[in-house]
Amino acid sequence: MTTVTANKIIGEPVDRIDGTLKVTGAATYPSDVTYPGMAYAVLVGSTIAVGRIRAIDTVDALAAPGVLTVLTHENIPSLPDAPASPFGPPPRFPLRDDRVLHQGQHVAVVVAESPEQARNAARFVRVDYEETVPVLAIDDPAAPIRSNPFGTDAEHGDVIAALASAEVGYEETFRTAPVTNNPLGLFATVACWDDERLVVHESTQWPMQARRTLAGVFSLAETAVRVLVPHLGGAFGAGLRTWPHTILTALAARLLDRPVKLVLTRPQMFTAVGHRPESVQRVRLGATREGRLVAIDHEGTAPVAAEEFTFDRMTTGTPDAYDCPNVAVRDRLVALNIPNPGFMRAPGHAEGSFALESAMDELAFRLGIDPVELRLRNFAGTHPRTGLPWSSNALRECYRLGAERFGWYVRDPVPRSMRDGEWLVGCGMAGVTYQWYVTPCQVRISIGRDGTARVACAGTDIGTGTYTITAQLAAEMLGLDVEQVHVELGDSDLPPAPQSGGSGLATSLAGAVEDGTRRLLDAFLDLVGTDDRSPLRGRTRREVTANAGRLHLVSDPDAGEPYAHMLARHDLDELTVIGEKIPDPQAPGLDMAPSGASAAQFVEVRVHEELGMLRVSRLLSVMDAGTVLNEKTARSQVSGALVMGIGMAMLEETVFDPATGRITNGTFADYLIPTHADIPDVDVVFVGEPDRVNPLGAKGLGEVGLVGLPAAVANAVHHATGKRIRSLPITIEKLF
Amino acid sequence: MSTVEYVRAQDVPGAIALVAADVAAAYLAGGTTQVDLLLKDGVGEATRLVDIGRLPLAGTEQVGDVLRVRALTTMADLAEDPVVIARLPLVREALLAGASPQLRNMATIGGNLLQRTRCRYFRDRRVTACNKRRPGSGCAAVHGPARMHAILGASENCIALHASDLCVPLVALDAVVHLQGTGGSRTVPLTAFYRVPSQRPDVENVLEHGELVTHVDVPLLPSGMRSAYLKVRDRASYEFALTSAAAALSVEDGTIRTPRLALGGVGTIPWRAREAEDVLRDAPATADTFRAAAEAAVRDPFTVPGTEFKVELAKRTIVRVLKDVSGVPS
Repeated sequence: MTTVTANKIIGEPVDRIDGTLKVTGAATYPSDVTYPGMAYAVLVGSTIAVGRIRAIDTVDALAAPGVLTVLTHENIPSLPDAPASPFGPPPRFPLRDDRVLHQGQHVAVVVAESPEQARNAARFVRVDYEETVPVLAIDDPAAPIRSNPFGTDAEHGDVIAALASAEVGYEETFRTAPVTNNPLGLFATVACWDDERLVVHESTQWPMQARRTLAGVFSLAETAVRVLVPHLGGAFGAGLRTWPHTILTALAARLLDRPVKLVLTRPQMFTAVGHRPESVQRVRLGATREGRLVAIDHEGTAPVAAEEFTFDRMTTGTPDAYDCPNVAVRDRLVALNIPNPGFMRAPGHAEGSFALESAMDELAFRLGIDPVELRLRNFAGTHPRTGLPWSSNALRECYRLGAERFGWYVRDPVPRSMRDGEWLVGCGMAGVTYQWYVTPCQVRISIGRDGTARVACAGTDIGTGTYTITAQLAAEMLGLDVEQVHVELGDSDLPPAPQSGGSGLATSLAGAVEDGTRRLLDAFLDLVGTDDRSPLRGRTRREVTANAGRLHLVSDPDAGEPYAHMLARHDLDELTVIGEKIPDPQAPGLDMAPSGASAAQFVEVRVHEELGMLRVSRLLSVMDAGTVLNEKTARSQVSGALVMGIGMAMLEETVFDPATGRITNGTFADYLIPTHADIPDVDVVFVGEPDRVNPLGAKGLGEVGLVGLPAAVANAVHHATGKRIRSLPITIEKLF
Repeated sequence: MSTVEYVRAQDVPGAIALVAADVAAAYLAGGTTQVDLLLKDGVGEATRLVDIGRLPLAGTEQVGDVLRVRALTTMADLAEDPVVIARLPLVREALLAGASPQLRNMATIGGNLLQRTRCRYFRDRRVTACNKRRPGSGCAAVHGPARMHAILGASENCIALHASDLCVPLVALDAVVHLQGTGGSRTVPLTAFYRVPSQRPDVENVLEHGELVTHVDVPLLPSGMRSAYLKVRDRASYEFALTSAAAALSVEDGTIRTPRLALGGVGTIPWRAREAEDVLRDAPATADTFRAAAEAAVRDPFTVPGTEFKVELAKRTIVRVLKDVSGVPS
């Protein structure tokens, strides 16, 4: 940082500045928004997996009390395709024609004066289907296969030769179950047209992309669309695309010329906003007897919905995970008649890590090498493909400190050697590396006559603490208290920001705030540059410090003045600047590889010897996230990811009926997310140094806490029981 | 419009008269899940709900060696009842293993007895083949992912599970249900209250239309009896049982006396394991006896892919709970 500041706020465990709003119910989520004259929409979903709609009878629905309209493919106007996002084409728009490609596909939208009337009338929409046989199984030979769908299949070295000549070989197949994001907040859209301007309150992690989508579909200038989401009840990746229900709600509002609200039901959250797809993965390893990897071959297969695309790459983390001269990765997508998968926290990475880190554990066991030691021997001290030094990398410290803190070396490493009464006890671990991701971001920063600052940005706080870290960043750099910084987020009319996703927003936003605060201090110094009455006249930023609401000389704290005085004297209400961060990992002269976060996960489990019940009894995550921006919200975010990892490891599975493709457990009574009783004390420790490339040295940590957890649990299960479970979730029938 | 009429009953005879007079009426009380069935899942049959929630039907009373539990007593209150704590530990354990704290605060004992199955084929109106909803239409669940379904009292006609935890110890204890109808009152042993699906999965119990469960008499355990409820599930809280077992017995000089055993998570009805009790009665309290009892309890299961593992898991659950209550070490 080039500005010297006197107070240390960044990194401190500051309470959420939006906490009071949330616990008092005053925070406005999209589903809370109402307008005078608002109508309510309800979606009707298909009850077949594939086929055609012969006819839709809406007569009775239209005759039901309060019904305003019923939209179907037969009566809606033709709309242009939504534009692609940086992550691929838009979701297929379902009301384009009479075809049905998955269970729950939207086939009609009923709009009525009240939500109850809409829901009631939706039951009277009668759809006559011509049903054909669905393709539902990932290994169904009738399923179309797309090889290398992402263009990312890659090989360095000669994997075939290295596997053939390796002293030790390994090959196994792993499976992970489909799981569903399930944010507590049901996704909602409230659409309101005002002439040719569209305002949408939307459950999204990416207001700018939602704006772009709606502008494209309704042939509007992007500035004619405003997307608002000041608060969001979680999303975990489900809000990274603008789904058809959003477009349908805006369309209904336009056709009725009234504001319209749509709130998805919990079962619809399983079919309308994506999920983590199942996967089948083959991992082959070649190693020396001393445990040096000579070859990694990782092949991943996952489903995609028919005529859809998803970017969920099982092998995404493998090439950079270890120092290995020969690495090949391949991904395939299999098209099935299922609701389209989407992004779910650490997409692909979480599934791929389960396979690779289970394989590493098996290799360690077969070689008689401690699992931590095997990973240390294969630690990638430089970027494996370029040989460049990392911008930061404390993974070895994660292993070392984690093993010590967990008591790793105290355990008896022999499987089935530890017990506590009827419970077999086991310890497992996994290593985690995560990709670097920082993307352009802008913020607007002002200081006003009252001496307080405003920071505004289109990015969203999805519950992770973005409001709070933004206030901390601005407060420290401007010499203010956190309470003196007002933060506005979640509005596409504000300066453009990337998605809250890919573990990228905090770092991108930090860069923009850092840039903006510098510019703002420059603007104040410019303001008084020739001001005889200012003790800061003619000074540059390097000569001043921001502290306690004023700027003063580094060399003489008495020589300075408050922001408010400078503004008042010059008869200004405020000074405002735009800050911007445009990261460039390939910048000339950047002789290092930008690094993502890394971690070591340690887990202790108990398995009931007779009854197969699995319980996680200890959990430690040691993480290198570079500079931690808020110790409390960071810890919360990692803890939440660990809980989600436990769900993926031992509880969660979206169960499809094999005959019909219907989801059979789309409620919270049937779909098992972890409860408090499933979660032991969670120990999260941060290590490492500020990153040398990223703004403020911070590295994104939104997803990394989940990665590695399923493998660590499976490895602990093996240690406890001697059983190697290569499919998730690890349920009782696999263990007893 | 498919309305559901809501009526709040003023007194017990009035409630019974309202429901009895209307074949499409049903009682509404905590734990009946009528709101889920009618409004969320769209599979309920009732068009009129008679809310009995404010009727004076809550609370317990000890009458000799019986605990009289009125139908509107909540699960949470019954779990904290001093008599239950002192004399019916297996009932308390089953109550606290069921649902979630929030649900236990709202769910009533009558609602628990009369809860509908959680079968996601029954509770999904898109599914046409469901003999419970449409007699003669078949059973889609037998072809589906079925780990939460029944293996005892099941057949190709229906594998829907009775998911109650509480009812498992209640059938083991020979609880008696008191019913009141327009024609008067009667009592039915809980073991005779439920009907296995057989040819009529739509008929789940012996209630006549309009009959109201007013209370349940639960015989207290004699002193010297040990009892336990063991529930096996993946999630540590708020999940229905994969298998469970309630057991009560005493051991005199190494010999088992007056055994009681019932199973949950495996039956289309709360499953009293009388064959197992016959094996246990006056037999030595040994692991071999327990295993023989478990084999007798789970004889002739009806399994489908996805429930096969429950046969052995149920047996192990039985052995485990019998070891617990008899003090036999593993």
